[in-house]
Amino acid sequence: MAEEKGKAVIQVKDLYKIYRVGDSKVRALNGVDFSIYKGEFCAIVGTSGSGKSTLLNMLAGLEKPTKGEIIIAGEHMETKNENQLVKFRREHIGFIFQSFNLLGTMNALENVALPLTFQGMDKETRLARADKVLNLVNLKKHKKHKPNQMSGGQQQRVGVARALVVNPEIIFADEPTGNLDSNTSEEVMNLMKRVVREQNQTLVMVTHDNHLASFADRIFHIKDGKIIKIEDTREKLKEQVNE
Amino acid sequence: MRFIDLWRMSSSNLWKRKMRTILTVLGVVIGTASIVVMISLGLGLNKSMMKEIEENGGLTTITVYPDYSSDSMTGEDSTEKRLSDELVEAIGEIEHVDIVSPVLNINVIGRYGSYENTYMNVNGMTLEALEKMDIELKEGALPQKDAGVLQFVYGNQIINDFYSSREMGEAPDIDLMKDTIFIVFDSDAYWNSKYDDGESGTPVKPPKKYLVETAGVVAGGPEVYGQHSWNIYCDIDELTKQLKKIFKNKAIPGQPTTTSGKPYKELYYNSIYVNVDSIDHVADVQKSIVELGYQAESNAEWVKSQQRQFGYIQAVLGGIGAVSMLVAAISIANTMMMSIYERTKEIGIMKVLGCDLKNIQALFLMEAGFIGLIGGMVGIVLSYSISVVINVVVKNIMQMQLSVIPVWLAGLAICFAVLVGMAAGFFPSLRAMKLSPLAAIRND
Repeated sequence: MAEEKGKAVIQVKDLYKIYRVGDSKVRALNGVDFSIYKGEFCAIVGTSGSGKSTLLNMLAGLEKPTKGEIIIAGEHMETKNENQLVKFRREHIGFIFQSFNLLGTMNALENVALPLTFQGMDKETRLARADKVLNLVNLKKHKKHKPNQMSGGQQQRVGVARALVVNPEIIFADEPTGNLDSNTSEEVMNLMKRVVREQNQTLVMVTHDNHLASFADRIFHIKDGKIIKIEDTREKLKEQVNE
Repeated sequence: MRFIDLWRMSSSNLWKRKMRTILTVLGVVIGTASIVVMISLGLGLNKSMMKEIEENGGLTTITVYPDYSSDSMTGEDSTEKRLSDELVEAIGEIEHVDIVSPVLNINVIGRYGSYENTYMNVNGMTLEALEKMDIELKEGALPQKDAGVLQFVYGNQIINDFYSSREMGEAPDIDLMKDTIFIVFDSDAYWNSKYDDGESGTPVKPPKKYLVETAGVVAGGPEVYGQHSWNIYCDIDELTKQLKKIFKNKAIPGQPTTTSGKPYKELYYNSIYVNVDSIDHVADVQKSIVELGYQAESNAEWVKSQQRQFGYIQAVLGGIGAVSMLVAAISIANTMMMSIYERTKEIGIMKVLGCDLKNIQALFLMEAGFIGLIGGMVGIVLSYSISVVINVVVKNIMQMQLSVIPVWLAGLAICFAVLVGMAAGFFPSLRAMKLSPLAAIRND
């Protein structure tokens, strides 16, 4: 079945993360195994404290696992030092934040172009590319606006564009609609789903909201540091069609 | 990241926090200006010292005097230690001696109409030495060889000493070049005749006045002091000829006499002028002369001690300036620290988005460097203004440029300010580099 879906972009093998809090140990992740394939939209769902954020942080190389392997685009994340991780993120990973995290001094276009700046691209090329991506997320009219001149939904669309602009192998989203009202959330989710589909991108989203998770192709339910259930909405869809 | 992008980002960050940037820059401005102004004072003092040295006969001149200290000790031996023609010849044979000339010194009285100058100091030297002294003349020329008569070159300030009892307080209107000045060589006799009360019987006959030609006048107005301002120079051969004629069997004033009051056959000199071919040999030649048993003076030692002294002064002044620069550096470090705390999240975002750690460090180093650069440049402008003010104020008192800021000092100061800024920003930048990217994920 895995071969049918194509190459695994993320492989997680036997992943543990143990925090020391005083004398006691907290197992944030307690043996996690899964794979995510190219072009998939996956959601990791769990309550707070379930370990879902820790998992995402480790996938993005922001935290080191205590034990286990993470292989993204064929490279082992757990053996990289900070400099190599930064380089890896720069070239292979896009990130969408809950609180948007746009730089207040820059307008939408410059914010989207920022990851390209880090790559050392010249101003003209990177602004042209950012311009294209902003069109893709329907923000034609707000390119010159600063973050504080835009609504939350617009800001998050800029955030999505910023994640897309480097044409990454994988995009991580950390509660991307956590700061938005339900209508706007819906809009942004649809946008993400559409863009991911169109660009054949791989997206991993963390959320606590089962409804938002239902937008995804596959849903990983996580509880107490373990994946307890993997739902495939596409199979359900197939079943529904078959019935 | 490209350099131009780093540049843009760091400058826009500074611009965003204008007030704080301005205050921090102000610290650097004051620090830079205080160092530069202090050093400029040291340089100004040094420069005026060098000028003074030139006015005092340059650096290759040695003046030889009889050794008075041994004179009093050994009594009779003193005759041998007089400055004779023999000695002049002996000194001339010392290696590296370029020119040697005896100096015969005599005080004479000058008269012009009702004006009288009783302080005229005549220096007889060889023409060769006079030429070597590079006396700048306003008019006329140095006495010529084979002139056959005595000719004087007057110092430019001599004119100030002409007094008249009839025209008190009036500046003497004498053209030394054109007007005829009468010279009285026998000043003792002059005073005797002048204050003769007539009780001693036979009235004292006033001494003869002589007309001495003027060969030239030293350059500079009556207000400008120079090495030659108060001297009169003439050819020593003509002077001795004249003196011998005037005093005949009497002792020439200033010349030693035998116990019976008779003059010696030979003339003895007041000092000997020695010019050495290069400044490096002054000390050696001076040593050889001292070994002959005479006193020798040159500027070399004085210059050395002066320079050492100015070195200390400069170090102290620079140190005072450096304290304010240190305070400025601390304020830069503080500003950068604050800025990093404020931008913890921003730095985290940049790390998550893949900004190289080196770039993050460079960003903060450049911000600190910018503060130094702007502060340094404004500081230099301020320094030049302060320097001008100091010079205007001091000009009336000291007649010199007290504060000198050469271009190299300005350039060095700006570089130094940038360096100090970057040094102050180094540890904050390390801290920024080590901040956790997780700060960006936190939702607060």
